[in-house]
Parts: sequence; structure tokens; C-alpha cells
Amino acid sequence: MSGVMDVPRARINTSMLSQYISRPVCFVGRVDKVHPTGKTFKLFDGEGKVTSVELNEPLEEELSGIVEVLGVVSNKGAIMASSYNILRDDKGITFDLELYNEALKVIHDFPQHYPFEVATSG
Amino acid sequence: MTTLSEGAIEALSNGNSVSDPVLQLVNIRKIDGGNGPTRFRLMMSDGLHTMSSFMLSTQLNPMAEDNKLAPNCICQLKRNVTNVLKDGRRVVVILDMDVVKPAEDVDGRIGEPTPYTEGQSKGPQSAPKPPVRPLQPQNGNDGKYMNRGFNRDFGKKAPSAMPSTPGGSSKVVPIASLNPYQSKWTVRARVTNKSSIRTWSNSRGEGKLFSMEIVDESGEIRVTGFNQEVDKFYGLIETGKVFYISKGSLKIANKQYTSVKNDYEMTLNGESSIIPCDDSSDVPMVQCDFISIGDLENRDKDAIVDVIGVCKSVDEVTRLTTKSSREVSKRTLNLMDMSGKMVTVTLWGEEAENFDGSGQPIVAIKAAKLSDFGGRSLSASFSSTLMINPDIPEAYKLRGWYDKEGHAMDGQSLTEVRGSGGGVGGNTNWKTLGDVKTEHLGHGDKADYFSCIATIVYLRKENCLYQACPSQDCNKKVVDQQNGMFRCEKCDKEFPNFKYRLILSANIADYGDNQWVTCFQESAEAILGQNAAYLGQLKESNELAFDEVFQQANFNTFVFRNRVKLETYNDESRIKATVMDVKPVDYKEYSKRLMMNIRKLAAQ
Repeated sequence: MSGVMDVPRARINTSMLSQYISRPVCFVGRVDKVHPTGKTFKLFDGEGKVTSVELNEPLEEELSGIVEVLGVVSNKGAIMASSYNILRDDKGITFDLELYNEALKVIHDFPQHYPFEVATSG
Repeated sequence: MTTLSEGAIEALSNGNSVSDPVLQLVNIRKIDGGNGPTRFRLMMSDGLHTMSSFMLSTQLNPMAEDNKLAPNCICQLKRNVTNVLKDGRRVVVILDMDVVKPAEDVDGRIGEPTPYTEGQSKGPQSAPKPPVRPLQPQNGNDGKYMNRGFNRDFGKKAPSAMPSTPGGSSKVVPIASLNPYQSKWTVRARVTNKSSIRTWSNSRGEGKLFSMEIVDESGEIRVTGFNQEVDKFYGLIETGKVFYISKGSLKIANKQYTSVKNDYEMTLNGESSIIPCDDSSDVPMVQCDFISIGDLENRDKDAIVDVIGVCKSVDEVTRLTTKSSREVSKRTLNLMDMSGKMVTVTLWGEEAENFDGSGQPIVAIKAAKLSDFGGRSLSASFSSTLMINPDIPEAYKLRGWYDKEGHAMDGQSLTEVRGSGGGVGGNTNWKTLGDVKTEHLGHGDKADYFSCIATIVYLRKENCLYQACPSQDCNKKVVDQQNGMFRCEKCDKEFPNFKYRLILSANIADYGDNQWVTCFQESAEAILGQNAAYLGQLKESNELAFDEVFQQANFNTFVFRNRVKLETYNDESRIKATVMDVKPVDYKEYSKRLMMNIRKLAAQ
């Protein structure tokens, strides 16, 4: 899965999952529930919709607050995570998930101005 | 042949009402209103007399412009209003009129009318001015005198004994006729403004005073009472009530302290008397000449103006300490009127504390002081009168407009608010550095203020510090006398020390352009993260550490509030930009604003 780290990943929310099946994505959401096995958890996005995230190994820490997940979208609409990042609530400015969602919409509405997909050479 | 209403001119001149008088138009003159619409001034005749102080209300301008009002035509006045100017002269504003006979059907002038001499003009009058000036129309309306009882029978203009004059047989005279050479007089006037009691204590002793402004049909005057008179009268006087006032002393007005239009002012003394008057219906409430808020930009700073508007928002009361170590309360509110423009008004003292801005009341201020703070702003000074929801036609008109459209409008403020980050209510003027050049900011007469988000790309550390006079409030550069003393030319003193102050030259840039700016003490300290005194020390003792401060400060991004102005030095004109304020970027507000702009652009 290390190939995922080199490729541009689109930032998406739950509504866009279906358009990114089998593609590398970055998903930011607030922790909803963690499965008792620790291998999967659910995240709310800025619109309040829920996405499932599946891990290779079970979680070794408590997950709470805002999490950024890098992975690939499975054909069941879940994210197969290769890595994740916790954006801590107690450090810095609080993350505004709704504002992030607005920004996501702007990026997707104007892809011509946000050419993230173009891989930078070298 | 149509008969004219003889005697109508005399009646109108005396302030009496005449119903539907038929008059002949003798002459009509167009008066260019400058800032406002054109006005037409008419001379009318009733066959016996002529009078030239008739003004056509602007709603009837089309009649004049379509040439319906030609000299000699016969007109019937259906609705008119008499305004009394501050010097006692009367002007009849015609609100509705019919032309009953056009000029071509009339054989010349009817009768041999002579100009009616209004024996009313009194008081020190300057050279005759056309009545147009005080009737400056705003929003297409006529003069702003709130004169109650227009069409009531005055009939008391000549000094005559009032039926119920208490205290002897003093005759009531108009305020406009008061002068220092007469002592036995009584005026009947309404108090429009009563100040609070002010005390003072200086080398000559102590004292207290209060002042008020009174108004009657003829004009207004300022009245002051000292010491004993304060005790005698202060409790009796109530703003808005009418009193008989006699035997005050008159002297030339000290125009520095007041904007009241009278060459004299009155002082109460041991012989003065103030008696409440019950019959107050025909004494005007207050005389105001409202300026549209949009017009304030065209007025000079320090002008005294009357304004009326809707209080769109009001801030909390704050307390601050003045230079004389007095504590005073202060509150700001935003006033908007039908011009769509908004201005910040500052209230002080009790007025500030007691002000209730809930429900967006109509606020009128007489004699507010216009300042160029933040562009344009107003202050209710010691001598201003604040009225909330006043009972005047202008207020009702504003209320109606506001309820229908005004409430949805985002007023454009004339006052640049030094608010947090994005400027509360979106009043901040956001620009990019490229805009400064493309929009030629600063090229006008006045400096332009704007906010921008930019990154520091260069800081000039040479000559950023200078040695300044150590006296408080004096920041002038001192001259090193080389003998351990430093001389300040402004204070004309020598000191054994100085204080370091910063003048920092920096280059800031955004995605599109860059700009050289100058930062003074406060903003420089904010950017460098150190105070001037410490930096001065560092410069002398540890060059490396000093340089390090500048390295650290470089490439930081801030919200800059800047002032730009075109300045000319010896034939060369250059834009000078000064940083007024530096703040950290509020990214949340910034992103919201950017997204709003993106959506707006997308919709175009």
C-alpha cells in the first residue's frame, strides 16, 4: 500500500465516495463509533454523513475528535485505510468541519482551478 | 377675471394661515441646489402686496420645469407650510398648487402690489442670504424645522402681553431680538438641551455651572447658569418643557463652545427668573437641519451637523480613562439612513450608559461633531442633543423606509472600524496589494484605508530605531549633544536620557504584488515580537541576537490595516503606505470570506 503515499489523493466527503471507488483519497471526519475489534470505525463528515473506515491492523490507541484518513475506496463504499492522522482538539485552533466541507465543495466545483490530480514531475 | 386673495400676503407674512389663497405669480427664479436638487423661488402677489420668499417644494419642480409657472399666471395655493428661519424671516413652502389661469390668459400684473415689508427681521443679521440655504433638501424633502402649530393662529408676533404672563407685565419678546442693551424682557422658550452640572477647581477657586439651549419661533440661544443659579434653577429645568425666562444678561457668544446660531448668549444672574409655562403648543420642539449620512463625506472634519438615522447596531458601554485621569463611559452605535450609508456615532457619559439601542430606534442628534477618525465618524459632544424616536416627520419616514427595505440593506460605513480580523459586520475594506496600484488608492484628496492579508518578505533593520524624547506623549527625535545630554526641540528641553522608538520599513507581499510600508512603534513591535527599548539594547550589545529577531520576523503573514496617500516631494509623487494595525490572520474568517468571494464570482 505504500504506492498510495506517492500519488495525489483527492479530498472527499461521504457524498463523493461512489465517484472514487478504487481511487486513493483523503477523508477528514469526526469519530463516531469504533468497532470493538478495533479494525474498523465510523467517521462523520462535515455534512453529517457517515463513512466506514477499515484498517489492516487493529487500533492501538483511543480515537476521538477529528481524524484524517488516507486510503483507497473499496467497492462497498468504505475506505481501506493505509494511514491516519489525529487532529488533536487541544492543540492549535479547533478544526471547523463544516468550513472544511464548504472548501471541499469549492474544490470539486472548480476542478480547473484546483488541478491537484496533475502529478508533479520529478 | 379671477380675483386674487387680497390680504393673503400680509397674513402669510405674519404667520397666519390662509386657506387656498389665489395669488399671481410675479417672478420665478431657479436656484441651483449644489448638492441637492434644484429649487425654485417665487415672488407672489395678492394684488395688494408682493412677497418673494416663496419656495416651490421639490415635488412640484416639474410644474416649473414644464413652464406651467410663467410670470403673471394665477395660482391657487392648496397646501403650504411656513418655515421660520433662525433670523426670524418667514419662508412659505408651497406643497401643492394649481394654476387656475395660465399666463397667456392674463393681462399683465393685477393691481399695483408693493413689496410687503416684513417687520419681523430682528437680531444681528448678516448680509441677506437667499432662504435656500437652511432649507437644504435631503432626500427630496423640504426644510427640517419641526415647528408645531404651523397653521395655527399665532397673531402674537409683535411684542404683546401674554394673557397669562405671571410675574408682572413683562412683554414676551422673541429670542432673536435679545441683545445686551435691554434688560427688562421675557422670553417664552422650550429647553432643547440641558447639560449636566460641571464643576471646576482652579487657582481662583471652585465653581459649578450648567448650560442649556432654548428655542422659540424666532430662533435659539445658549443659556448658562453658574454657582447659585445652578442651585436655583437646575432642578426646575426639564428638557422639552417650555418656560418663561426673564432678565438674564446677554453677551457676545463664545462660538468656540457652542454651535447655537445666535451672536449672543445668555447668563443667568441673581435677578433672572425662570417660570414654567403651560401654554406651550406653538413653541417649536427643536430646530434641526438634518444632513444625509452620505453627505457627511463632503463635509469638513470638525463640522457641527445634525443627523438622523436608524440605529442599526450598538456596542457595549466601555469605560476609559482620559489624559486628565478622569474615567468616562463611552459607547458606539452605527447609524444608517436612506442614503444607504452608515456612520459610527460615539456617545459619552450618561448618554452612553443610558442608551438603549434595542429595536433599532430612530436616533437624531443635533450638533454632533463630525470627525475624520476612520474616514468619517460622529461624536455626541457636551453640547449635542440626542433624541431617540423623536416625534418628527423625518423619523416616521425613516421608520417606514427601514421596515420596508432598509433592514435588509448592509449599510456602507463611512467609518473604518478597527474591528477584529474580518471587521464585524463585513465593514472592512479588503483589498489585495495589486488593487492599490490598479485602483489608484491614495490618489484622492484624502488618504485611503484598506485591509489586506500579506506576508513580510523583507525588513530593513538599518535605521529602524531612533532616539526619541523621553517625555510622555512627545516622540520627537532628540539631538545628541555629545555631552551626555539629549535635546528635544519640541519640548525645548534637554534630557540625560532618551527612549528608543521604532520606524520600521518593510516590504510585504501577497500572491499578486508587493508593497513597501512603514510601521511605527506599535505595529513594528507587533511584527518583531519585541519592544523598542529591548531592541535598542540588543542593537548596542548583541548584534547577532538583534539580527536574529529580524530573521524570525521575516516571512510571517498578518492582516495589515494600511493607510495610503499620494505624497509629493520636490516634483516627485509617490504612494506612501503606513501600517495602522497588524493582527494575526484569522484563517476561519479568511476562508469564509474567500469562499464567499468565489461563489459571488461564479455567479456573475
